[in-house]
Amino acid sequence: MAVTFAASSRAFAQPARRRRSARRNLTGWAFAGPATALVAGLSLFPAVWAFFISRAKWNGIAPATQVGWANYQRLATDPDMLAAARHTLLLTALFVPASIFLGILLAVALNQKIRLIGFYRTCIFVPYVASAAATGILAGFVFNPQFGAANDVLRHLGIPAQQFLESPSQALYVICLIALWGEVGFTTVIYLAALQDIPRDLVEAARMDGAGKWRVFRHITLPELRPVTVFTAVWQTITAMQLFDLIYTTTRGGPLNSTQTVVYYIYELAFQTQRLGYGAAAAYLLFAVTFLLTLLVIWYGRRRGSEVF
Amino acid sequence: MRTPRLLAGGVTTALLLSACMGGTQDNGKDAAAGYDPQATVELTWWTGQTEDAEKVAESLAAEYHKLHPNVTIKTSPGAPTTDDLLTKLSAGFTGGSYPDISYAYGNWAGDLGASGKTQDLTSYVADPSFKWEEMPAAARTVATADGKVIGVPALVDNLALLYNKAIFDKAGVAYPTDDWTWDDFRAAAAKLTDPATNTYGTAYSVSGSEDTTWHLWPLLWQNGGQILDGTKPAFNSDAGVKALDTLRAMAVDDKSMYLDQTDEKYHPLFNSGRIGMIISGPWALLEIKEAKLSCGVANMPGVNGDHQTVSGPDLWVLFNHDDVNRAGASRDFIKWLTSAEIDAKWNLAVGNLPLRTSEKDSPEFAAYVKEYPGGQKFFDNLANAKQARPTVPGYEVLSRNVGDAIASVLQGKSSAKDALDAAAKKSADAVEN
Repeated sequence: MAVTFAASSRAFAQPARRRRSARRNLTGWAFAGPATALVAGLSLFPAVWAFFISRAKWNGIAPATQVGWANYQRLATDPDMLAAARHTLLLTALFVPASIFLGILLAVALNQKIRLIGFYRTCIFVPYVASAAATGILAGFVFNPQFGAANDVLRHLGIPAQQFLESPSQALYVICLIALWGEVGFTTVIYLAALQDIPRDLVEAARMDGAGKWRVFRHITLPELRPVTVFTAVWQTITAMQLFDLIYTTTRGGPLNSTQTVVYYIYELAFQTQRLGYGAAAAYLLFAVTFLLTLLVIWYGRRRGSEVF
Repeated sequence: MRTPRLLAGGVTTALLLSACMGGTQDNGKDAAAGYDPQATVELTWWTGQTEDAEKVAESLAAEYHKLHPNVTIKTSPGAPTTDDLLTKLSAGFTGGSYPDISYAYGNWAGDLGASGKTQDLTSYVADPSFKWEEMPAAARTVATADGKVIGVPALVDNLALLYNKAIFDKAGVAYPTDDWTWDDFRAAAAKLTDPATNTYGTAYSVSGSEDTTWHLWPLLWQNGGQILDGTKPAFNSDAGVKALDTLRAMAVDDKSMYLDQTDEKYHPLFNSGRIGMIISGPWALLEIKEAKLSCGVANMPGVNGDHQTVSGPDLWVLFNHDDVNRAGASRDFIKWLTSAEIDAKWNLAVGNLPLRTSEKDSPEFAAYVKEYPGGQKFFDNLANAKQARPTVPGYEVLSRNVGDAIASVLQGKSSAKDALDAAAKKSADAVEN
């Protein structure tokens, strides 16, 4: 009896274990499934599809023609794409350092023990919470060449009225300024948190050794902020390269395409003139460049010994 | 084991995706062959209208249902704005759920025709009972894509010269006439311009959109030019350069032209008395009336007595669902909607020009002209719309490139010849297919 039982139990053991492990697997997937389906359906699938579209000439309506890598080849010689890339680079080169510098400056100022500090901190953060669309519409009023507040201020200072967003040579700088106003709250909050994380004993030790305020800042605070700076640099670079809503609500890429960034150009290609294949190719190129830039910054950060990602 | 499965998955995905990007091919059969007018059908109608006009559309659909109880028409605007309809349609084609009838801008006709999802109405409208010839020629051309009639004009309009009488009186300049040349127009614009009061002689949109582009086409045609030669851009001919130089002289040399960086400012500025003359269409009349502006309408200025203008007709495009009864019912509904009797209750009621010449004697037209005094001129000016914008896939791209060229020339950044040549070069491979 016992022998029979043992034999049959051994015979049963294999499928039972398999069933158990299958059930465990199933339980795991039941937890991970919905999120996986969401990511796969809403991110991976469109990304893969966009890659196939990028190798076709397609307007979304008529049948697509496969063109291989022709869309990518054309991008390299497209003067509008080059101009858009130039605008994006200029915007990024202005926006990233400025937002980091202003962020540190404001964070240090807001790290003081003064009255109403909570109120000040809120004030700095509010523009970041406001949507970029609202910021853009508001800025459109402020920088209106005829009736805007900005020109009123200039008039009081005795400076001639400017065209701002309607001048091809000024518009991109004005956009950068508006973007800074909206985004600086974010870097400020990050740096504020980082400042409060700096070990007090380090600062006190430096003081003991006779370091002044500036030397403490230069040799203790700044090095301590480096990991956060790698993070903000990457984050703000991505923000600047993907800036769209602000441009859409202020200049729509004009005047004379002077504020047409890569992202806006992609929008124009794909959704204004229905060149979905070419637009998808441009989007993939932007993805590749952003990805490489991010890797570069992380690699640089790791080499300097600060791991943030 | 793993790699082949992955590969197979990839190939399946690729096949699936390329299937999504394909279109159906026309099988040459009439979509409504053997249609039974008594069959019960439900039609989807995207009107592209908002607010008041949408309400009129819904009441007309209800009226049709009363006359034909077997036909139910689901009426909706289709998209938040008319511009968004094309995106909705293209998504609908991919997902297989598109309407039976949709409003469409005339410049989409080429793309929609190439989708293979439209009905071919060529023989249907040729039937004498449809009275196809009563509609303006330019509108009929726009409804025809690649030799096939894919829809029926829904709205017709044209560009004419609108002028503010008060500004002319103040400057002591004679009102524009129907025989004006562009030199007369330029001279008047210079005289009306007064920097002291921020008054401009005329205005032009330099946003680079279709609004920028299509204002140039009448000038191009008057000079004997063409937009396309076959499938090759031809607007950079001598005629095109001359046309654009006419505008450049006012914008750059005389500074008598207000350059609007958006499409939205020059109408309000005209209505508030800052601009003497604009080139615009009948849609401007409503706001002019609300602004209580004393405004006159004249033909487009001309070249050597040629005063032709451009028309921007919109369409009812009919789609094929491989269901003869739905196809037939949608045709009959559109025939009813665009008939002289019903169109007077539709277009004239919402402030548009009548679709058919036979409506000019209707009481609705008399009421329309009384309410909008410029309406009669715009109606007569339909006869001057002799050519149409090309209905080829890729016109949108061409339009964008020409718009950018015009904007840069009028702002003194490049010469007409260079800008148009560059635009033609950029548009070449977008248009050819």
